[in-house]
Amino acid sequence: MRLEKCWFCSSTIYPGRGIQFVRNDAKIFRFCRSKCHKNFKMKRNPRKVKWTKAYRRLHGKDMTQDSTFEFERKRNRPERYDRNLAENTLKAIKKIDKISSDRQKHHISTRLNTGKVKKRKEARNELNQSIHMIKAPSALKEDSSLTLPKIKVKVSQTLAEENQPMEE
Amino acid sequence: MAAALVSKCSRVGRSLLGGLGNNTSGLLSTSNEIMSNNFLSQQRTFIQMRTVLKVVDNSGAKKVMCIQSLKGKKGARLGDTIVASVKEAMPNGKVKKGKVVYGVVVRAAMQRGRVDGSEVKFDDNAVVLVDKQGQPIGTRVFGPVPHELRKKHVKILTLAQHIA
Repeated sequence: MRLEKCWFCSSTIYPGRGIQFVRNDAKIFRFCRSKCHKNFKMKRNPRKVKWTKAYRRLHGKDMTQDSTFEFERKRNRPERYDRNLAENTLKAIKKIDKISSDRQKHHISTRLNTGKVKKRKEARNELNQSIHMIKAPSALKEDSSLTLPKIKVKVSQTLAEENQPMEE
Repeated sequence: MAAALVSKCSRVGRSLLGGLGNNTSGLLSTSNEIMSNNFLSQQRTFIQMRTVLKVVDNSGAKKVMCIQSLKGKKGARLGDTIVASVKEAMPNGKVKKGKVVYGVVVRAAMQRGRVDGSEVKFDDNAVVLVDKQGQPIGTRVFGPVPHELRKKHVKILTLAQHIA
């Protein structure tokens, strides 16, 4: 039994799933479900279809190079059955899977980090510039405790002080 | 035949829905829709009487028309034998035009279920000519052939370039 990869979306095809299409030049295309099969028949290029792994890897959305991927390479030589080897391999698969998925999640979260930092900066700017939409500037001048101090402080403190004018 | 009816009904149904959905787009869009439906919802069926198949060995014939499928009520599938009439042949070959021959279907556009539950389908309908005993007439087979021939047509498998 061998777990194949879908030609279009690169997900694993378990036994009993999907359709295999053999072209006349003897190239075999395996599809995990009819969605991928229909896209193939429409002659769509998986590298241009946003939800496929091919697109994500090409556009840097998912991790491309990692040592954990080496374990999944296709090996054509069948191994002689050895009970210990089989047992150890099963344990290793679990561990490697966990490490691999953790690394991939980390890759995605680092990619999304720059967006978070930007958003926070924009929020602070907006607060500084458009506070007149919430409280009239003359009111702020009278009661100086309501204005934001124009000094750079640590993140936790600014959050507490940003909340003040909102609560009014 | 039932399959053709079903596809026709689906086509009519879809064009109706298209008409109801966007009255403003006009006739052009519905005709385009019908074209694309035609392409996508192609129902592949059995190999039956009058099906023209490609011959993929060097027996001399090029195209062959099925007269009878020796197995199956609705028609032949991948791996079945058929009786066929040679429609097109090479000028100097073992088989001449108009001859009635037996053939084994080695590639079928209709998907065939495998023992592990998956399905295989090929690009076209192709046949290898055999004699009454099941021995191939030609000496070479072109293109991929399926595993399904393993039980009965071992000779064809040995001649094959690629087993899919």
